[in-house]
Parts: sequence; C-alpha cells; structure tokens
Amino acid sequence: MTTTARRLGPRISEWLMFYVLSIMVALLLSAILVEATGGDWRPVMNALLDGSLRKPGRWGETLGTAAPMLLVALGTIVSGKAGLINIGQEGQLLVGAAFATYFSFLIGGPGPLNVVLLLIFGAIGGALWAGVAALLKFWRNVPEVLSTLLLVTVGGQLVAYGLSQSWILLAPLADRGNRNQVSEQLADNNRLPHLEIFGNQIPLAVVISIVLAVIVGLVLSRTVWGFRLRMLGRNPRAAQRSGVAQTTYGASALMISGAFAGLAGAAMLAGGGFAFGNYQLVPGFSANIGWAGLLVALVAREKALVAIPVAFIFAGLRTGSSFVGATGVESKITEVIQGFLVLALLIPPAVMFLRDRRRARAVATGTV
Amino acid sequence: MTPAFSDSSEVDSTVESAPAVEFRNITKRFGAVTACDGVDLSFQRGRIHGILGENGAGKSTLMNMLIGLVLPDEGSIRIDGAPQQIHSPLAAASLGIGMVHQHFSLVDALSVWENVALGEIGRLDPSAIRNRIGEIADQYGLVIEPDARVGELTAGLRQRVEIIKCLRRDPGIVIFDEPTSVLTPDESVQLFASLRQVVADEGRAVVLVSHKLDEVLHATDDISIMRQGKVVDRGLASEADARTLARGMVGRDVSLRSESAALGLLSLDQKALDLAPETPLGPPMLQIENVVVREIGGRVVLDGLSLELRSGEIVGVAGVEGNGQRELGDLLSSLVQLDSGSVVVDDEPVSVGRSGAMAKAGVGVIPEDRHDSGIVLDMTLAENLVLTDQSPVSNRGIIDQRALESRAQEMIEQFGIQCSGPNAPMWSLSGGNQQRVVLARELAQHPKVLVAAQPTRGLDVGAIEYMSDRLRAAAADGVAVLLISSELEEILDLSHRIVVMNSGRIVGGMNRSNVDLEELGLMMGGSTK
Amino acid sequence: MTEFFDAMGQIFTSESTYTIGALFAGFLAFAASGEWVAERAGTLNISVEGMLLSGAFTSAMGYHVTGSTIVAMFAGIAGGLIVASVQAEMSHRLTADQFVVGLTLNILVLGLAAFLDNELEPVTKHAAKWSIPLLKDIPLIGEALFGQRWPFYVLYILLPVTWWIVFRTRWGLEVRSVGENPQSADVSGIDVNKRRRQSIYYAGFTSGLGGWFLIFGQIGVFEDSVVGGRGFIAIAAVIFGGWTLRGTIAGCIVFAGALSFRLSVQGVGYEVNTELLQSLPFIVTLLGMAIFAHRVRPPAALAQPFVRGLK
Repeated sequence: MTTTARRLGPRISEWLMFYVLSIMVALLLSAILVEATGGDWRPVMNALLDGSLRKPGRWGETLGTAAPMLLVALGTIVSGKAGLINIGQEGQLLVGAAFATYFSFLIGGPGPLNVVLLLIFGAIGGALWAGVAALLKFWRNVPEVLSTLLLVTVGGQLVAYGLSQSWILLAPLADRGNRNQVSEQLADNNRLPHLEIFGNQIPLAVVISIVLAVIVGLVLSRTVWGFRLRMLGRNPRAAQRSGVAQTTYGASALMISGAFAGLAGAAMLAGGGFAFGNYQLVPGFSANIGWAGLLVALVAREKALVAIPVAFIFAGLRTGSSFVGATGVESKITEVIQGFLVLALLIPPAVMFLRDRRRARAVATGTV
Repeated sequence: MTPAFSDSSEVDSTVESAPAVEFRNITKRFGAVTACDGVDLSFQRGRIHGILGENGAGKSTLMNMLIGLVLPDEGSIRIDGAPQQIHSPLAAASLGIGMVHQHFSLVDALSVWENVALGEIGRLDPSAIRNRIGEIADQYGLVIEPDARVGELTAGLRQRVEIIKCLRRDPGIVIFDEPTSVLTPDESVQLFASLRQVVADEGRAVVLVSHKLDEVLHATDDISIMRQGKVVDRGLASEADARTLARGMVGRDVSLRSESAALGLLSLDQKALDLAPETPLGPPMLQIENVVVREIGGRVVLDGLSLELRSGEIVGVAGVEGNGQRELGDLLSSLVQLDSGSVVVDDEPVSVGRSGAMAKAGVGVIPEDRHDSGIVLDMTLAENLVLTDQSPVSNRGIIDQRALESRAQEMIEQFGIQCSGPNAPMWSLSGGNQQRVVLARELAQHPKVLVAAQPTRGLDVGAIEYMSDRLRAAAADGVAVLLISSELEEILDLSHRIVVMNSGRIVGGMNRSNVDLEELGLMMGGSTK
Repeated sequence: MTEFFDAMGQIFTSESTYTIGALFAGFLAFAASGEWVAERAGTLNISVEGMLLSGAFTSAMGYHVTGSTIVAMFAGIAGGLIVASVQAEMSHRLTADQFVVGLTLNILVLGLAAFLDNELEPVTKHAAKWSIPLLKDIPLIGEALFGQRWPFYVLYILLPVTWWIVFRTRWGLEVRSVGENPQSADVSGIDVNKRRRQSIYYAGFTSGLGGWFLIFGQIGVFEDSVVGGRGFIAIAAVIFGGWTLRGTIAGCIVFAGALSFRLSVQGVGYEVNTELLQSLPFIVTLLGMAIFAHRVRPPAALAQPFVRGLK
C-alpha cells in the first residue's frame, strides 16, 4: 500500500509526542461533539473505560472481541506485503463463517475435533471467497481493490440467502423460535473453550490469534517465502525477473488473507458468546469486524506485532460502547470516536514521511 | 562545420546590451551534496551556448533553477539585466524561458495539440493552438499532425512535439537538455540545423546542455565547462579543441581509452584499432532466433530479432533508443512473453515468459533502469544482493541473517560499494553504488550470459571506467556479454562485434576491427548503403 | 415459461418501472458523475458513500432549520464538500493512504449521521413535482424523465456541465493529464496534487447534491440507512463505463434497473429472491470488468499517489 515512512535514525520521542497529540485532538473533538449535543463528556469516558476494562469480566470481553479483529488484520498484512489491496475482509469473514456453520453440521463428529474442523472450514471458506477476487485479477486483470470490495456485498447477500434456505443454513423450525434467518446453534461441546483468568472469560481464539501474529511476523521477515512476498510487493518487475511469479505468490497471498478473515469468522462463531450471535449465524453476524480488522492493519502500518495492541484499542471502543448507552448519549458516538482516532493516527506518519522524504532525497542524490 | 554568426552579436566584453541570462554566484546544496558552487555564467542573445560537463557536474541543477523547478540557496539570476526569482515553471515561462526536456514532459493519452497546450494559463482555444502549431511548422520545419495521439508517435516525433511545446510561447531563451540521446545521427544533424534557425531569427539565446564533447564542439558558439558544481573554463567554440575540453571536464589529461569514449570522442585513429577478444571464443551461449514480441496494444516491438552470442565475446547492440532495446532487455529478464521465436541458452531452450526462467538459465542482467527491475529500493543492500537466489543464505526456507550480512560484507569489499553497511537501505546509496550492487549480484551468480543495458547511463567517469573494466573482465572469464547501448562511443570502446538494432530487429553488424562509422550511422537510421 | 415472458413484458411496458428506475439512476448519476471526474484525475475516492450521506443529512438539517428546499440544496452541497475536504487534504496533501481515509470517512459519517439524527431529528418534506407539459406525455419514459420532482432536473444541467468542464476547459485538460501522467504534468508546471484535490471537491459537490436529491427528490425523509451502500455502486458504474461519462451514465441506468427490478417484479406478483437481486449490480459490474478488462483502459495513474521526486 503506501510506502512506509522512512526514518533516518530513531526519533522515538518525537513520534510518541506526535501520536499522543493526535489522539488527544481526536478525543477532544469527540468530547466537543458530545457536549454540543447536550451530553456530558465525563460519564461517556467513564462508561468507555468501564465497558472495556474496568468492570469485572470486561477486559476478557475486549480480548475476545480483539481476537477476530487481529486475525483479519494479520491476513490484511500478508496481502499488503505482497502489494495487494484487499478490502473485502468483511465478505470473506462472512463466507468463512457460513462455511464453518455448514460443514460443521454436515460432518458432525466428536466435540473437539468438530471445533477444529469448524475453524479449518472457516479458513477455507474465506480463502475461496478471496480466491474469486484472485481469479478475476490474475486471469482477467480486474483490480483486486475493486473486486474484493464488490464481493463484500455479494458475499453478504449470498450468506443471507443461505440463511433463508433450510437446505443450506437455516435451522430447522423447532430450533429457531420466532426468528427467520438463523442457523442452528452450535452444541455445547462444539464451542471454543474459554480460559478463566481473574474472573474473565477469554476465548481460546485470543491465544490463537496472538500466536499467529508472532508466526506471521516471523514468516514475513525471516523466511524465504516472506522475503519473496515482500519483493513482490515492493517491486513486481524485479520479482518477476527473480522467479517470483506474480500469479502464484499474489494469488496465494490474497487467498491466505481471505483464510485469516474466514478463520476470524469461524472463531467468532465458535467462541464468541453473546457478542457474536451466540454461537449461531445470524444476519449482521459480521458486525463490521472485517472493516475493523482492515483498519487495524492499516493503522498498525502493516506490522504484525503492532497490530496486537491496536486491535485491543479498537476492540475496547466496541466493548466500551455497550456501556455508553446507559449514560444517555447515543452509543453510535463510539463509531465517531473510532473514526476520529483513525484519522488522527494517520496524520503523524504522513507528516513525518513528508519531512523525511526531503532529507532522504538529499542523501540519495549522488548525481544531481 | 563553421558556425554561422548572427550579425547583431559580438562576444565582446564591451557589449552594451545585458546578457539574456546571467548567473551570479549561484550555489545550491542538497543536504551534504553541493550541486552548484558559486557558478558565474552568462548567455548572450543570438548565440548557442554549450554547457559541457560529465554526469553529475551540476548542469541539470543549474538549468532546473532557470526553469523554476529548484530555487538557489545563494546568488542571483538575472534575465536581461534584471534580477529575478523564478519560483515555478510558469514563472519561468512568463520570463520567456523555455526548456526542451531530456525525459520529456508529454502525456501519452492526449493529442499533440493538447500536449502543446498543457501548462499554459488562460482559456483553452483549440483552433488558436492548431494555428500556432502550423506557424511553427512553417517557420522551423517541424511538421506534425496536431490531432495525433502522442503515445503513438516515434521518439523523434515526440521530441518534435516537445520542441513545439517549448517554442509555442515564443521564448527568448531556449534550453535543450541532452537532446540527442534518442536521435539517429542524421536526426541530430537536423536538430542542430533547427537550433541555428531558432537562434538566427529574433536574437534568441539557446543553451545546449550535454556531456558529449563532440556535439558541443561542433554545434555551439560559446562553451562553458562545468565540473563538480563549478564552472572551470569558458570560451569560444571556434578556439577550442577536443583535448582541452576533455581536460576541463575531467580535471586531468584524458589518456585512458574508456574515458575518452565516455566523453564522446570518436578519434579516427581509435577507429581502426583491432579490438580482438583476449581469449579465443567459446561455444555459442545465447541464441535468439526470430523472436517476435507484441506489447499489450498489439504493436510489434521485437520483429523477428535474431542474435547469437558466444562465450567470451562482447557484442554491442547499437541503435537509437526506442527501437526495441528496452524490450530486448526485458526479454532477457523474463519480463515479456514471446509471440514466436525461441531463445536458447547454452543449448537449453528457455521458456521465456516464465518468471525467473532467464535468471535460472544463467542469464545475468544489468537493466537499463535499475529502479525498474534491478533493485528493490525499500529493501536493504544485503537483501538486494540475494534477490534472484536466496539459497546461499538460507537453510530449509529460513533466511540466515548472519550469512546474509557476512556475504554482503564480502561483496561490499570486493566491489568497493560505498554504503553505511550491509543493512543500509538501498535508497540511501548513490546511483553508481546501486549499479555496483547490481553488478555484484549478477556476477556472483556466475552467469553464462551477461546483459548490460545502458550500463553507464547517469554515472560519472570513474564509475564508467569501473563498469567497463568489469565487463571486459567478465568476457575474459568466458561470460558472453551483450552490451545494449545508445551511446555509440561506449559500444565502440567495449565491443568485439557490433550489431545494429532498428525497428525491433537486428539489421546488420560488423566486427570492431573493420567498423565503418558511416554505414553504422545509416543502419541506425534505418537504411543501408 | 410464457408466464415469465408475460411478466417481463408487463414490467417493461409499465410506466412505473421507468419512473422508479429513473429515480434510482438519477441518484447514482449524481454521485457517479463526480466520482468520474475524481477518477479521471487519478484518485480512487471510496468516500463517495460518506459524501452522499453527509449531503443527505446536511440538506435535511438545512430544510429543518429554514423550511426552504433551496437552502437545503446548498446545505447538501456543503455537506458533501466537508467530507471531500477531509479526503482531499489528508490523502493528497498529507499523503495519507486514500483507501484508509475513504473507508474511515464512510464509517465516521455513518456514525455521525446516526448520532446526530438521533439527537437532532430533522424533519423534511418532499420537493414539489414539476411536470413538463408536452414532454411528459411521451409513452413509457415521459413520466420518468419529465414528470419528476424538480430536484431531478438539476441532473440535466449537471451532466452536460460536467462533460464540458472536463473536455472543454483548461482545468479539465489538466485534470486529465494529472490522471494519465502526473510526472509530465508536474514538469509542465501543473500542480498535480492541487488538481487532484479539486477533483475530489467536485465529487463532493455532486455527491452532496445527490444526497439532497435523495431526500427531496425521492424519499422525503432522512434515515441513517438512506444511502445503503449505493455509493459503492456509483464507483462500480464509473468502472463499468470504462471511465467515460457516457459509459458511467449507462452504468447508472443498468444498475438502477437491477436495483429496481425487485420492486417491479413484486409489482407483477412475483417474488424473486431479494438477496440475489441486491447483489445483481455488483455481480454485473464484476462480470463487466472481467469481460472488458483488456479493452477498457483506466487512467494510467489511477490510485497512484504522486509525490514529486519519487519516480
């Protein structure tokens, strides 16, 4: 995607100051908005902190929400390193979750095994959906930024269709209650186990996602495959010359990216609790996690380990927002805060990049 | 060729009218690099002024200041005696300064008249522009079809559009920046005739910026020589000779053969030199047979090209830029697909379009534009040294950081690469050093064939020398070297055998030992004796 | 089978099909025409969705405060321009990634609109219908093209003006050059990023109008779901149209047809699956891109940010 800012030597204090400043501006704007519409800022702030961290069990919830975001972000980082712009994670996530639901019920089997299958099929579903975009790109030259975007709606509609048909995803009449478009609920032994730490329920998905973050970081920086992928992303022609076929590596990267999103969907299904549809596929299941994960990757500037805290922050906004409603302020304010935060976080690297560019040019210019 | 002087001008220190352009104590720094250092220079109306200097001497920066792309740090620029601040190309245009750019400023998708109109201010009036194009055609003999799409024109015609675009505003000062790299020898002569026209009427000042000594000697009235940001000599073209000019450019007597070639001297006695290969030639290493390559729009860029290269020989592919040289380089880099024909390396056919096939077959490439396919700017030096093959520094798919760095360190020493270390980002190296990295990497693969496309472009004389020596050494080692260059001097200096490329095919060739410059020129221009 | 053809026949010969279709197409055309200009300049502006929603909301507020549809129109334009300013300044002055900014803006505007709608609750009313006498009696399409509420007719001025600006003015020439070869444009003395920013502002302008049209020319009330993803369809229309204005408008018509097909089909007593129908415009665009990709040429510098000195 964008060229990362090129720093000439560490100026961490400068960066930190810039970031802190931007975040404060974002929060300030949000506070002004709340006050201007007759609300009171302090309770909102408290509600956010309560909902995300302070109240019992909440930070576990936040972690649980961060896990799928992190997974999506990791996938985005992989395709980003290959120079591909995947903005269809929301759709890949949904299709992955749908695959997971369908095959889990189709295949059945003992609890733990079924959960593993479920996760695998989620990944496969997401990979296949991204594969459609890959096919369009490498066979017919359709830019993936557009195809993945368009496939989000298509994917969403297809899954909704599947949910309305009992031969696909719709639960049998007896199990659905009054609802029209729900899948069967996963049985108790088909769910991702939780770890209990200090009264917090932490789904295994959290551990999985953090482990994967480390793996992705290592693979990208230390392996031959990662090296070639990065080459492809930085200079496709040099890559072509060096034996890195854009089709092979690019398509793989895109499909891996989809697989992560699909895995996230499966993880939400099997380990999400009430936050994510309560172990069954429902309309609106994806809850914008796909978009959030994409933003996490972009804000983390495509660094796998940085994505971990960033995902936590975004998740915190989400879990905190459920407490905001009680203060009398419309809970949508958290989306506004999120938006301001992301924009604010984009400014420091952009400004630094412009400054560094001027200096870098001077050094690089041997011939003038 | 004696220059024709316009009556109204006299290079006399007692001239009354102010010079068209005067640089006084101009200094410009880019970080630690001083591009221009206290430059004092002036150009008179009615004369062609040549600025001679090797790559990196500061001539482009100086002109960029005149055209408003760069602001000087110190000193002043006077136009017709009045000091001016030139902030932008528009400001320069309003002062009557126009430049015909080296790398062109045209937009392919637009038509000729739209391109000519680009950059003006005021209402868009197609018919007025068309009329003006017609006027310029009549006045200077630069005929062109106003509604043609620029992307479909040849390099020579595109330059014509550039010139028209420049002349459209009737500039009093016209700058030509290295104009002949894309022209055949004939077209160059035509260009210089046009220059004379441009200067003769209405007392314009024309500046010709070049690193080609020969060209400047014969086409200009006054010459200034720049070296390392300073003006080291100035005088009349009629009183200058090749030797003094060369000495001025380089700072010492030019004795090495490659240096003189780099400076553009084609001395007749060198011509007859028998440049025999140092070791007996080996078996054919590269056999290109009737290759046809089409680009995406359908245009044929390589049209039945055939070429054979033997181990230990240096074959120079001469020709004017734009005749398929780049595509030939791309072909040998696995960057294009074959329409028909075949490529065989060391008796093994190569599936050309397949990624990395050429590299794996043993074809090393120093590409025309290293930024395009030669290096990855954002990766480190060490990483760039293993782009084509990671096996020496990896173990079961994982890269060994220590091996990567130590290997890089070895090559840095072996090839004299100036950098801050193995982990220096590639973008922090100068052009010459980046080229050394490419050379190091390609030679480390022990290639059977080495393709060097415009290898010394943009390099200073020292770097050119180094590159030439390395190429000769490679050939002595048994590598089949293919030198693709639009600089005839470079070809003549290095090649054992010369072939000429025109319109996507090889149209003829000759051994270095019996080279006939006239016939070469004709072949380059597309005709034969 | 004959039933099917009968139903099709009914749909295509009913005036309401065309009227509804024209409304949908008109809305898309407001957004797509501006986006076309932005993409010709080389920017890929995904915040169209946000621009439309913002225009819709501000125009609703404008009417709520003053009771005038015309004031609402200017308010709508302002709404679109505000979103455009963030997109333009952040991605083409501060070099932030245009996709991040665009996506974030969409989410931000959605959140803001929902939040403010809840707090402020603007009340709006349809604009008056202006039927043009003779013309509206043309069979089938007369009502659709000449019997709409007056905001629709703004399109008849906007579209030709847009074309004229891009092909007959210097500004348009520069915008086109900037989208094809920003390096050349820069060397010729054109401020590349300034033109790109201006083209995004233009997109904000037309989309703001589109949002206004949506409220006052079509739906009549504001809800935060009122745009519902159709900003992305407008982008698809530009691509489908091969980056020509004519093609873009054709794309708007085709997609509007797909969108309104569901309603027409229900009108004749059939029930075609909603979901599949909703995805039809997107599938059509994907297919269109797949089939025509080689013949269709995007502006050469599309989605490539320009910073002088780097390549």
